[in-house]
Amino acid sequence: MSLIPATTELLFAIGAGPVVVGRTTWCDYPAAAAAVPNLGDGIAPNVEAVLASHPDLVILYNSAQNAAIAARLRALGIAALRLNTDSLGDVERVGRLLGRLTGHVRAADSMAAVFDTALAAATAPAPTRRPKVLLLVWEQPPMTIGRGSFLSELVARAGGTNLFEDVTSSAGTVSIEAVASRDPDLILTTTAGPVGFAERPEWRTVRAVREKRFLPVSGSEFNRPSPRAPAAIRELTRLLRSNG
Amino acid sequence: MRAAFVVLPVAVGLCLLVGLSAGTVPLTPVEVWHGLSRSGTSASVIVRDLRAPRVLLAFFVGGSLAVCGAALQAMIRNPLAEPYLLGLSGGAGLGAVIAIASRATGPWAVPVAAFLGALAAVALVYRLSLVAGRRLDPRVLLLSGVVVGSFAGALMSAIMVLSPAAGIRNAFLWLLGGFGSASWQALGVFLAYAVVPLVVIGLSARSLDLLALGEEPAHHLGADVHRTRRLVYLCTALLTAASVATCGIIGFVGLVVPHAVRTFARPLHRSLLPLVFVVGGSFLVLSDVVSRTVVRPLELPVGVITALVGVPLFAVLLRRTLA
Amino acid sequence: MILEAGDLTVRYPSTPRAALDGVSCRVAASELVAVAGPNGSGKTTLVRALSGLVQPEQGTVRVQGRALADWGRAELARVLGVVPQREEIAFPLRVEEAVMLGRYARLGPLAAPGAADRAAVRSALERCDAGTLALRSIDALSGGEWQRVRLARALAQEPAVLVLDEPTASLDVRHEMELLELIRRLVDQGLAGLVITHELNLAARYADRILLLSEGRVVAEGAPRDVLVESTLSRVFEWPVAVTTWCDGSPQVVALRPGERYP
Repeated sequence: MSLIPATTELLFAIGAGPVVVGRTTWCDYPAAAAAVPNLGDGIAPNVEAVLASHPDLVILYNSAQNAAIAARLRALGIAALRLNTDSLGDVERVGRLLGRLTGHVRAADSMAAVFDTALAAATAPAPTRRPKVLLLVWEQPPMTIGRGSFLSELVARAGGTNLFEDVTSSAGTVSIEAVASRDPDLILTTTAGPVGFAERPEWRTVRAVREKRFLPVSGSEFNRPSPRAPAAIRELTRLLRSNG
Repeated sequence: MRAAFVVLPVAVGLCLLVGLSAGTVPLTPVEVWHGLSRSGTSASVIVRDLRAPRVLLAFFVGGSLAVCGAALQAMIRNPLAEPYLLGLSGGAGLGAVIAIASRATGPWAVPVAAFLGALAAVALVYRLSLVAGRRLDPRVLLLSGVVVGSFAGALMSAIMVLSPAAGIRNAFLWLLGGFGSASWQALGVFLAYAVVPLVVIGLSARSLDLLALGEEPAHHLGADVHRTRRLVYLCTALLTAASVATCGIIGFVGLVVPHAVRTFARPLHRSLLPLVFVVGGSFLVLSDVVSRTVVRPLELPVGVITALVGVPLFAVLLRRTLA
Repeated sequence: MILEAGDLTVRYPSTPRAALDGVSCRVAASELVAVAGPNGSGKTTLVRALSGLVQPEQGTVRVQGRALADWGRAELARVLGVVPQREEIAFPLRVEEAVMLGRYARLGPLAAPGAADRAAVRSALERCDAGTLALRSIDALSGGEWQRVRLARALAQEPAVLVLDEPTASLDVRHEMELLELIRRLVDQGLAGLVITHELNLAARYADRILLLSEGRVVAEGAPRDVLVESTLSRVFEWPVAVTTWCDGSPQVVALRPGERYP
């Protein structure tokens, strides 16, 4: 049972799709995953629902909350594993691990190899000037994500640089003043559709807002590490070049 | 007391200057002055378009919240009264969360919903506190406020857990309070809401002095107890709802500032209210400075700073008054 | 007739018996009326009804000929001074600030107190022998001092009628007598005075008329010697009493111990 969207994707990628007996609401890729029973949003998994599916192994995200749940499952005789799925490096590592656990070792290895090659190919050569990109994940209040996050990694490989590179925590509130003083070249937003705040006078102190330099980016391949990451990087590179 | 009239404007001026100088890009006072007087430079953009409205908004919101706290403390005759006890914070939170959960669009959706939610909670508390159909009973008011606030808060948490809408948990961050999105427009809207209630409360200063004696003595000395209570309640509700809509929930200003001012000023409201306004405003300006410099370039919610400062300050004040 | 109440009936919600039942009461200028009666007879309710704090089910109250409903709050406070029985202090003021509150009915929301107001406050404090307390904080006063300050506050209103609910409750002999002498003097100078009291003997010596209440009804009204009669008092207070006469002719009531007789 996979209670992390990233691992669901990996399991299907290594051909272990048929053994997945449970997923979360957010496991939206690949399309075949929709056939797997949905067990909720995965943040506070319902232990009874998990038991009812009789899994041999339950994979949970490595959070403090899930530590208690994993312990309960083990006490009930079900193997539970907590994994980190936060960065690009996890794709290969977790992929190989899942391969060993499900017996699809060769498929996992080949996926990892393909991934490595694709990643190297997609990574843009260091440009003369890296455009500064503001990763705006929420507007009210303005929130950004820092260096360690997955999206930040993607942007770096696509040839850009995170405006808040110096922030190490994963997410934080910033002021418009901080954004304006750092003067981003582009603003990446994670919601599709028109940017509502562009007309507001306080945002118009930011040059990128006045010049309407927005990069709307949506799609789960930008949210979590997966074999689709190289494609995501290529998309970002294209956007950066055409807007930069 | 005469000294206060000289010391205070200087202190306020200093606070405003600090507010304009500090931030992600520290500016010296000279640079601040250049930023204000000239246009076109990057410093001027920061100072004029972002920091100046932010500092002024913090000042007026802080002053308004402090005045509301002082008026309520007199009206309810309870030194622990503060604007958010009226159920406002729960109502505002519920409104904001409903707005995000229903994916309402537009930058004003969340503030307007918070405003309406706050007013709805206040109306409900008012209705619950009407004794014998027309009297606003202060003892019941406090209890009703706590009950309505808790109920709204519970509903809000339920929606946050159940809603699939993205970013619903970020509503929480907005509610914690912050001036990061301050603008001249937001300041204008707030002042439009704040001017009338502030003036009305100011004119009720004498009535508040009488109300602080208790319902019977106040009545005998010429106060229209019921009318004053309704008026003060309505004005504090409007002011607090407007401040929640502008910058989220900022607690402790309304509770602690009136007490602090009463340690050095007479408790008569004609002089107390203006003092409380000025001290509350300065307090919030300084809290805002701390919130945007302590984990630069990130910001801490202002409500966190006011609580961290307000609670020990309140403990000290409590000990001094009880001693 | 400065203050008159006709046929007042007041009922509190969820109590079967009326707190006041058809009570009439009149006080004229230069007249001191004492209201007496056992606990629960409706004395404090009468004060509340007279000042407009409580709406009567039936009956009217007129001040200077006008119905109570026709008076504005501040307008009424300039004419009617009421000192209720108890008052709790939430925020400590100085004595002179507390007495200045009595002038609020004459100041608008904006005007600052003027020389006339300060003089009125000083004179009120002097008359109540509280002049030396002017700068003290009211939460540092004894019960008797607080009582006198509250009376000074009512006097600062410069009323035409004074209604006092148990004004001598926490006072010692000297202050009790001084207060009643003060009230008598004010009444002789033109004030109308209504005093609720338990002290039948002092009422007999100072008041022009006594109103005796029992269970919300008027049992007797008139000059002290007509009202303070053994049979009436023993019935109303449910305790045997004897009535003697003091050298000024006023009746003095003495409660009898079990087995005692008088003379």
